[in-house]
Parts: sequence; C-alpha cells; structure tokens
Amino acid sequence: MTNVFHTYHPAVAFAFLASALALSMACLHPVFTTLSLAGALACSCVCRGGRATLLSLRWVVPLCLVVAAANPFFVASGSTELFRIGQRAIYAEALAYGLCSGGMFASVFLWFASYSACMDSENSLALFGNFLPTVSLMVSQVLRLVPQFVSRGQAISDVQDCASAAAPRDKRDAARGRMRVVSVLMGWGMEDALERSDAMRARGYDCGARRTTYARFHFGVRDAAVLAVVLALAAASAVCAWAVLSLYSFYPTMSAVGAWWLFVPYALLMLAPSALWLREWLDWRSCE
Amino acid sequence: MTVEETNASADETDDAPAIVTRGLAFSYPIAHGEASLEIVWPDMCINRGSFCALVGETGSGKTTLLRSLKPELAPAGAYRGEARVLGRVVHGPNAYGDSAQESDGTVAFTPLESAQAIGFVMQDPAAQIVCDTVWHELAFGLENLGTPQNEMRRRVAEVAHFFGIEPWVRKKTEDLSGGQKQLVNLASVLALRPRVLLLDEPTAQLDPNAVKQFLFLLGRVNRELGITVIIATHSPEDVEPYATQRIDLSESFAPATRQAAEAVLASRWEKRRELFFGGEVDGKGSGNVAAKSGGLMSRDAAIRVRDLHFRFDRREPWVLRGIDLNIARGSVHAIVGGNGCGKTTLLRCMAGVLKPQRGSVSNALAGSQAMLPQDPKALFVCDSVAEELMEWSGRCGYGQREADAVAERFGLDAFAARHPYDLSGGQQQKLAIAKLLLADPQLLFLDEPTKGLDPSSCAELSHIVRGLSDAGKTIVLVTHDLDFALVTADFVSMPFDGEVACTEPVDDFFANNLVYRPNAKSRLFAEIAARG
Repeated sequence: MTNVFHTYHPAVAFAFLASALALSMACLHPVFTTLSLAGALACSCVCRGGRATLLSLRWVVPLCLVVAAANPFFVASGSTELFRIGQRAIYAEALAYGLCSGGMFASVFLWFASYSACMDSENSLALFGNFLPTVSLMVSQVLRLVPQFVSRGQAISDVQDCASAAAPRDKRDAARGRMRVVSVLMGWGMEDALERSDAMRARGYDCGARRTTYARFHFGVRDAAVLAVVLALAAASAVCAWAVLSLYSFYPTMSAVGAWWLFVPYALLMLAPSALWLREWLDWRSCE
Repeated sequence: MTVEETNASADETDDAPAIVTRGLAFSYPIAHGEASLEIVWPDMCINRGSFCALVGETGSGKTTLLRSLKPELAPAGAYRGEARVLGRVVHGPNAYGDSAQESDGTVAFTPLESAQAIGFVMQDPAAQIVCDTVWHELAFGLENLGTPQNEMRRRVAEVAHFFGIEPWVRKKTEDLSGGQKQLVNLASVLALRPRVLLLDEPTAQLDPNAVKQFLFLLGRVNRELGITVIIATHSPEDVEPYATQRIDLSESFAPATRQAAEAVLASRWEKRRELFFGGEVDGKGSGNVAAKSGGLMSRDAAIRVRDLHFRFDRREPWVLRGIDLNIARGSVHAIVGGNGCGKTTLLRCMAGVLKPQRGSVSNALAGSQAMLPQDPKALFVCDSVAEELMEWSGRCGYGQREADAVAERFGLDAFAARHPYDLSGGQQQKLAIAKLLLADPQLLFLDEPTKGLDPSSCAELSHIVRGLSDAGKTIVLVTHDLDFALVTADFVSMPFDGEVACTEPVDDFFANNLVYRPNAKSRLFAEIAARG
C-alpha cells in the first residue's frame, strides 16, 4: 500500500501530520475531537490501507472505551447526576470528558500510525539531513549495520548450534557459549570497521572539503502549494481553536458549542489527506 | 577547490604514464617476535588506458603494492624507491610535503585530488559499503567531496545507467547479492570520475556468473571510458580477455587441462567406486548410472532426506520442494548449483539448523557433526591462533599435544601468536578446519569452502577433505566452484527448482554435463596434477 503522500516531498507529509497531531492533542473538545478522530481514521485508511486500520481498531476501541468509562469513577465533578454506585455519583459531564479523552487517545494513536507509515527513515533524513549532515550520515550507517549484525549473529549461533561434536558439557558452558556470540560479533564488527574506514577514506571522507548532502526528493511548485494550504489551514485552525477553547469548559456544566464556522478550518485540515486521495482516484478514473 | 580546477591542474601532467615505479620496496614495522621482511616489487610502467593484471599468489604483496599507490591507504612502514601515479609523486622525494612544486616539476596529491583521481575497490563486497541504500552509497563519495546538488544528481544517474543499477537503486544495500554489492562499490568509485582504478581481488568472493559480469563491466569501463585499470588477481585466466598488460609478482603454476587432473584422480575414483558400490560394480563405463545410484540408495546412508519441503515464511515461495537425497557414510558429497538454487538452505536443513516444514531428515551422525561457515570468522573467538586451537579442549577432551600436531599439519605453527584476523583468507580457512577437526566430528558440513582462496590453497583444501574421507569421515560440501567439486567429491548432486535434478558419482556427473561444467584449464588442475 503506497501512502497518499508518496508523490509529494516529505515536508508536506511532515507538516500535515505534525500539525494534525499537535492540534489533536491540544484541542480536547467534543466537536474538535470528533473531527480529529474522523480525520485520523480517513488518513489512516489512505496512508496504511483499510485492513491495517481495522486491525489497529481491534485494540484502540476497547482501550479508549476503558479510558472513557474510567474517568467518571475518578472525577466527581459535574452537575448532571446520572446514577450512583454506593456513595459515588456518576455525572454526565465526567462521562463526556472521558469519551472525549478516549477519542483523543484513539486519534493520536492513529495519527502516529500514519506518521510512521509516511515518514520512514529515508524521508526523515531527507527532511532533517540538511540541518544535521553528520547525524544523517550516522543514521544511514547505523541502518546499514544493524541488519548486518543481526544476520551475522544468526550465522554465528547457527555454527555453534550445529557443532554437536563440540557441544557444551553443562548449562554454564552453554551460557558461556552464548556470551561468545557477542564477543565474536564485536571482534568481527571491529575488524570490519577498519576496512570500512579505509573504504570511506578512499572515497574522500574527511578530505578537507565541506560535505554536501544528496537530496533525493525535489521540492516543486505542487509541493509548495499543498504545503502552503496545509500551513494556512493549520494556522487558521489554531486561532479558531483558541477562540473556542478559551470559552469552553466541561465542568460544572458543558458550555454551548458556539459558532459553527469556527470549526470549518479544522474540518478542512482533517480532510486534506482524503482530498488528495480523491483527486488521485479521479485522475486515474478519467484515464480508464 | 572545485571540480574544474582539479581537472585543470591535473591536465598539466597528462602525458605522464598512469603509474611508474622505480625500485619500490616496503617493510612493515617490526612486529613482536617476527622477522621484518622487505617486499621488493619489480619496476613497473603502466600507460594510460591500459588494463593491467597484477598476478601473484597470496602473500606476494599485491595488496600492499596497490595500497601503496593510493595515498590515503598506504600502509605505515618504511618505503624505498619511487612511485608516481599520473605523474604525481606518491612515494619518493617530495611525497610527503605539501603540493609545492619541486625543481623537476613533480607534485604530490592533495587528499581531495587523490580521492578523485585514484579509485580503489577492495575484496570484501559487504565491508566496503557504508550507507543503507544503494542511491546513498552511490552519492557517498560525491558528498564527501562537497559536490554541488545538481552535479551529484547527474553523476549518480550516469553511473547507475552505465552499470544497469537503476532497477534496484532504491534497495537496501543489505538485501543485495554479493555480485550486486561489488557492482555498487565499483559504481560509487566511478561516480568520482577517477582516471586510475585500483582493484584488489574484487571478484575473489563472487560466484562464477557474478565474476563474469563484473569483469565484463570492468572491461567496458576500461575500453569505453578510457580509465586505466590495475587489478590484482590470483586467477589471471578470468581477466585474460580484457587485460592488455600483465605483471607477475610471484612465480605461478601454468594452468593444466582438466584431463591432466582427471588422469591423476582416475585411480582414486575407481577405488572409491568399489568402496561405495562393492560387488555391484560392473566395470567402468557401463553407463548404467541409475542402477549405480540405486545401489547407493540401498546402502547404509549417513543422512537420509525424504520429501523435504522448506520455505522461510508462510507467504514466501518454497525454496525446497520435495528433496530426496542420501549421503553415503565416508563419502565426500558435493552439492553444486547457481545462486538461489537452495543449496545452502539444503545444507542448513541437513545440519539441523533449519526445521523442515514437510518431509524428514534423518541424520545418523547428528551427535558428532560440525559446520564450516561461509566466513570462517564466525568461528573465531580468541586472540591468537594457539588459543583458538585450544578453545574446545575442555569440551572435546584433547590436549596441547594434539593441538600442536594439528597446527603443524596445517602449517599454522609459525603463526601461533598471531590474531586469527591477521591471517590471510586461506590461512583463516585452514585454522577454521583445524579447529573443527580437533573436535573430531564424524560428519563435516562445508559451506562454500573455496570462497576467496587461491588455487594452491584450494588444492590443499581438496587434499585435506579427501584425506578426511579416507579416514572414514563423511563430508557434505556446498559450492559453486565446479573445478573444486570435480577434484574433491565422490558424489555430486545438483538441486534445481527446489528438487534434486540429479545425483551421480563425480566422474559420471561431469562426463554427462555438457553445459554446466568445470573450466577446460585451470591452475587448480595443475596443482592437483602435480600433487595428486
């Protein structure tokens, strides 16, 4: 499943997902949270696929119901009493607050899932590599070495496991054998490091020139346009959300929702990935 | 300094030969307890645009010579004589000064110039790769030189096209085959647009098909791009079609024909045939191969594989689908085939490392087996050869005397104090085998045992393996080296498409194979013909 942002520069995906995450976490409000949850579900569907989204709902839904149900038992604020369990009153406001925080939890989880689907190491490096060239090279080297270490560790333990002619005599001996895997790996890795540093110097590493960073992604007009829209919507949502939230409270009674148009930028922002997906779908449909 | 400036300053010495050495010699700093040896190389003059093969056995100083010609990699030690690359002084008067002009107009390389002008490719394909993705690896050198973005893009694109890397340019370098890794190494060096390319046994660890492809592309680099190529190798036969010049650093055997080796081995094959088929043998060349293999089936087998199915994941295709195989007790059984035919997987199933999903493997010698891994380094845990040989003495109940005897038999006694990693590839392989033999296994698995070995080490290994089987040990080896299989094995199996396409005694197998067959001539055969 290719994500909906894959034809854009990583900056677009990052700007959208980061602002969606920040706004979702900041805006605990029945309408904002509902919009955020809907947006997160839609985004997860177009970035990770419907099946993966459904699979993650299997445990997101129960967890957020637990959060929703737990709040009224710990918070005894509110004015509309629903029922009593022993001495403890359960209020509608506390339940609503719990539902909102559960919804926020679910949406934040889904946003993060989409983030990890859209921003793999390569994309993150392309985005931050220009600011941190040394770090980006280091990350690339680590990503190269980790799988090599794992497969070598496997090779070494395979050799030990099938050398029954030199089988360990007791458990302590066997445990020492396991430790040996680590020591072989270290020795082997260090030996390799010598050769790798030769290969790096042979290709001019540390030759005195100032390093540049190869940019695999091109930042074009289309990226700039989408990015501008996303940032504008995010800024407008932040202003509107501030206006709404400063007048809103759950306790003792839930305030009125307020002017509807204050929610429009937020709704549009949350719908952005679905809009991008729809456009691509229409493009392909017109080709058929 | 920009790219243009470097090229301009290099143009001043454009008429100089690519490499000239006069009386060049080198000695390593004296190590503990070992005599200091001076390596003296013959005088060389390699013209621009040549393809020069630097031929010599392991230990003849090929690697040291190549490294000495690349300022960043020159080993620390004492140099005598003089060496110039592209007219610039690398060793000799004014080599270590700054780039100030001398009276005769000679200049040394600056690090930036050296990185651009001289490319270097080493033996181990995996150890040279620095980055996680192919495109980043191709760009790595350019990044180091501070190449501007647009120039970098076009150079990466250029080399990717030239080498046909484009389809897998986004792959992880870890997922590439050995041959692909080495191509990436060559391409990433070529992106720097060097004028001299030094390669240190670049094909030693590749399988035969990858060797051919690599050398073909290297030949194109030389002919079409006019880049001077100096390649160190211990198998000059492979580079013969491309080489314009050859420099021998040590005396080497002339290659002999396959028939010469077969003539030496014929009596052995006859004896082994009698051993495995007993009374059933009905004279040579009866052609009734199936019956003979049938005879083998019915005999007491060390390993019986029945209908073996294996895959690495439920969603992945079967690697092995219905393998039937018998390994006779006391035989050398070679499993040959190309990359990805499942021969290593089959070996690991037989060794019990992988569990079959269907079918069975019954191994009568499972309690006394050992495996030689593809890379012998996976076996080494100690800081010296002597300690390494004693590592299992507690577990297996042998003493210093046995260890010393084995060390002497494998010619390792002279290196007792050395670190195993400081041995050459052939010596490492011998140390690994010596260590396994001290554990006295009845069954030995060898995974690509000839990887990186020169012909004389191969011949020696073949000798050792045959000796072990004469002593009653069973040996299963997996190899893509058909020459080695021919001179070593008793039986050969060829897996294909997840099944065993055929299993035959070695002489029948190679007599019946017309396309997939050993070299007509090789130096391994010469060694075997001379030594038996």
